Amino acid sequence: MDVKYAAPFLAAFQNVLPQIGFQIINQGEVIIKGKNLRTDGILIIVGLVGDLKGNVVYSMSMDDAKKIASKMMMGMPVDEFGEMAQSALSELANMLTANASTEFSKENVSMSISTPTLMYGKDITTKLSTENILCAEVGLDDGISVEINISIE
Amino acid sequence: MDKKRVVIVDDSDFSVLIIKDILEKNGFEVVGRAGTLDEVISVVSETKPDLVTMDITLPGTDGFECTKEIHKIDKGIKVIAVSSMLDDEMLQKAKNFNISGYVQKPIDEEEFILAVKRVLDDEELFKHFQSLYLPIFKEAFSDALNRMTKTIATYKGERLSNETIQSKGIAVVVGIIGKYSGRMILDMSVESATALTDRMLKKESSKQTEIIAAIGEFANIVSGNACSMLNRENKVFGLRVSPPSVFYGKSLNISSAKIKTYSVTIDTEFGEMILNIGFSRGDFEWM
Repeated sequence: MDVKYAAPFLAAFQNVLPQIGFQIINQGEVIIKGKNLRTDGILIIVGLVGDLKGNVVYSMSMDDAKKIASKMMMGMPVDEFGEMAQSALSELANMLTANASTEFSKENVSMSISTPTLMYGKDITTKLSTENILCAEVGLDDGISVEINISIE
Repeated sequence: MDKKRVVIVDDSDFSVLIIKDILEKNGFEVVGRAGTLDEVISVVSETKPDLVTMDITLPGTDGFECTKEIHKIDKGIKVIAVSSMLDDEMLQKAKNFNISGYVQKPIDEEEFILAVKRVLDDEELFKHFQSLYLPIFKEAFSDALNRMTKTIATYKGERLSNETIQSKGIAVVVGIIGKYSGRMILDMSVESATALTDRMLKKESSKQTEIIAAIGEFANIVSGNACSMLNRENKVFGLRVSPPSVFYGKSLNISSAKIKTYSVTIDTEFGEMILNIGFSRGDFEWM
């Protein structure tokens, strides 16, 4: 998979996150992973169909998910990862992916996105449809870290 | 069918008169009018119309702000902008504010009624779609199971909710994109996935990688076939599926916080499975 596919998704973080009050957006290196992904915490998956076809998975720890949800809900404390917080995180994944799709369209690549599906739990293994996955970590305010995994066929 | 109820937002008596006349001539019921933000909020709260025609330039406010307030009252109320201004920037802004259509003044009766009908029919179409898709996904599941394993599926119960689903062990997620965007999830225990794979591959004790590949492909076939059947019902749906992703783990929970989804419990020879499907309205189709 071409590493250049990561750029629109990373640009989306820079475009969207300041709008919900994040100031620090440090993107890590893009690496290619061949193995299954393992996650403790939450995963949000969004399907992509169009000129390119695939999936993108955003993952983070439960604590970081709560911190992000709290920020999205105007600083309201989020102790439990309930419906409101789940909805907020799903919306974030939706906004990020929609924005990435707009970034792709600047390169004349047209793509639509599916409804996000949020999952959470412990020691979850993910197998996406491609052999290799592009992976990058984005560091945010308060030590929050979000991992983005891109699988494009 | 009941007459569709419309509120007209415009500060010009002349425009209100014209819009009211066209709407009533074409079988719509005008239930109120408003010219300021306060009036919009009170009239819309009181009358709960199906549709609001929205002037963009208004004293002390604008059509976008009014639309935002209307959607705070009820997200389901459709708004059509009716304005003398029309350019790309306005169109983009209208889309961003979830305005469903745009008609330029002076109003052409035919064009205006077409826009109104498209927006309201859209609502009917989604209702139709919602009553259509679940039986079709079940049919596609039965077909795939029957063709690939020569066994029969029995449907035990179904419900529409946004409760969290606790996975039995393995969940396959397929994103769906088209006129409406959604997702399908097929969930089962590791034991069921193993038994299903053994039968499909006609062997015993399939390897983990084979199991993941097999149930991913099975879910892909079910969702792909179901979407093809739906597209044949109405080509406007134009549904396509994203590649399947497989998730597994001891404690895996699937949220449906943003959309209500149907969960169907299925009895199979390989154990109980859950088919979960949900769609949201997604982006509006623009003229």
